[in-house]
Amino acid sequence: MAYHSFLLEPISCHAWNKDRTQIALCPNNHEVHIYRKDGAKWSKIHELKEHNGQVTGIDWAPESNRLVTCGTDRNAYVWTLKGNVWKPTLVILRINRAARCVKWSPKENKFAVGSGSRLISICYFEQENDWWVCKHIKKPIRSTVLSLDWHPNNVLLAAGSCDFKCRIFSAYIKEVEERPSPTPWGSKMPFGELMFESSSSCGWVHSICFSASGARVAWVSHDSTLCLADANKKMAVASLCTETLPLLAVTFITENSLVAAGHDCYPMLFTYEESQGTLTFGGKLDVPKQSSQRGLTARERFQNLDKKASSDTANATLDTLHKNSIRHVLVLVGGKGNCSQFCTTGMDGGMSIWDVKSLESALKDLKIK
Amino acid sequence: TGDALRAFHAAIRSHPVNSKNPAVKEQAQGIMLKVLTSFKSSEIEQAVNSLDRNGVDLLMKYIYKGFEKPTENSSAILLQWHEKALAVGGLGSIVRVLTARKTV
Repeated sequence: MAYHSFLLEPISCHAWNKDRTQIALCPNNHEVHIYRKDGAKWSKIHELKEHNGQVTGIDWAPESNRLVTCGTDRNAYVWTLKGNVWKPTLVILRINRAARCVKWSPKENKFAVGSGSRLISICYFEQENDWWVCKHIKKPIRSTVLSLDWHPNNVLLAAGSCDFKCRIFSAYIKEVEERPSPTPWGSKMPFGELMFESSSSCGWVHSICFSASGARVAWVSHDSTLCLADANKKMAVASLCTETLPLLAVTFITENSLVAAGHDCYPMLFTYEESQGTLTFGGKLDVPKQSSQRGLTARERFQNLDKKASSDTANATLDTLHKNSIRHVLVLVGGKGNCSQFCTTGMDGGMSIWDVKSLESALKDLKIK
Repeated sequence: TGDALRAFHAAIRSHPVNSKNPAVKEQAQGIMLKVLTSFKSSEIEQAVNSLDRNGVDLLMKYIYKGFEKPTENSSAILLQWHEKALAVGGLGSIVRVLTARKTV
């Protein structure tokens, strides 16, 4: 595990370039900083200053090398690298609340922005006017859209919202693409069509992720649950009530395995068993080296018993790599179907890269299917 | 002991989570508190282990509801149940008490 402490403040959001040599992140303010890997060190090479409010989402298109950022100033900017300078282009989202998340579509000809305006702005480039325009998906979203993920077919979009629901919409834009062929989520996909809506969670949906094939979608919500909907099983939803604090980020690392992390400050593995339609906890992925256990004195034991009715000897310091909540998990190498490396960033201002093979050999009970 | 365990499972099964009637909920809470109090401290762990995940979440909801209106001895007994339920359900079960839309 390689852990790098970038800041003393939370990393609000981050994105990687195609070959993973550069990382763009928001240091909890109105700017985006780009760092480049120089051997074992990270050097800051760019500072992107255009937003008037905190930058809440960054996405880096791997092929076209464009950045898209969105912020609480209700704007989004598409950045292109001209020589050695990143030039912004404003995109009018037509929203009256903060933008919360942004994602390029797989073909990079569209991007989606979720916002507090209870809608999703689907933006695409209009050649004739040399201008980014957007269309809105509104119904039946009732609260802030916190997370988005695109289906590999470039048309379907999953959205997690504060109204406790995970939904899949069609974001088909006839101006930029051909009509999509049928998928297990449905065949008719006009713009804005609701293909799926969940009903099980009781918490804000913090993060949502399609599997590599697009046949499954998983989400984590604030009631400490992880859910997965399987289109090949008539959209049956499997859910798991976890024993942890709420998870904030989730990603598939194979078609059956998920990595999620959140307020407990460590990533963990979950496995989906297709035949039984169940989700199970696969283990904690951050196992610290054994530190010396300080024993409790008899007096401390009695005080514990008196105050908390427990004889626990758990200490108060965190022995995980991240010292504060993990907000984002991104696949670095191998894609969502065969991930060999993933990255976590959090409120402790740190970024950690996790190697799946190393985890498998270090944690003997770990089974990644 | 067998009777207490049976009463416990019966109380868990007949939870008024889907009811909107406050009187029904009040009555269920009273019954559950009686059942929880009738257990010996040494039997609590076994009772908690006999529950499934949903049962543990329900128990946690009753425990916190019981904390809201403490009686002479209720909090001490509820704290013992809380410790055992926490060991099985983890912090997640407490989070679900806070986020639940349907209460017991």
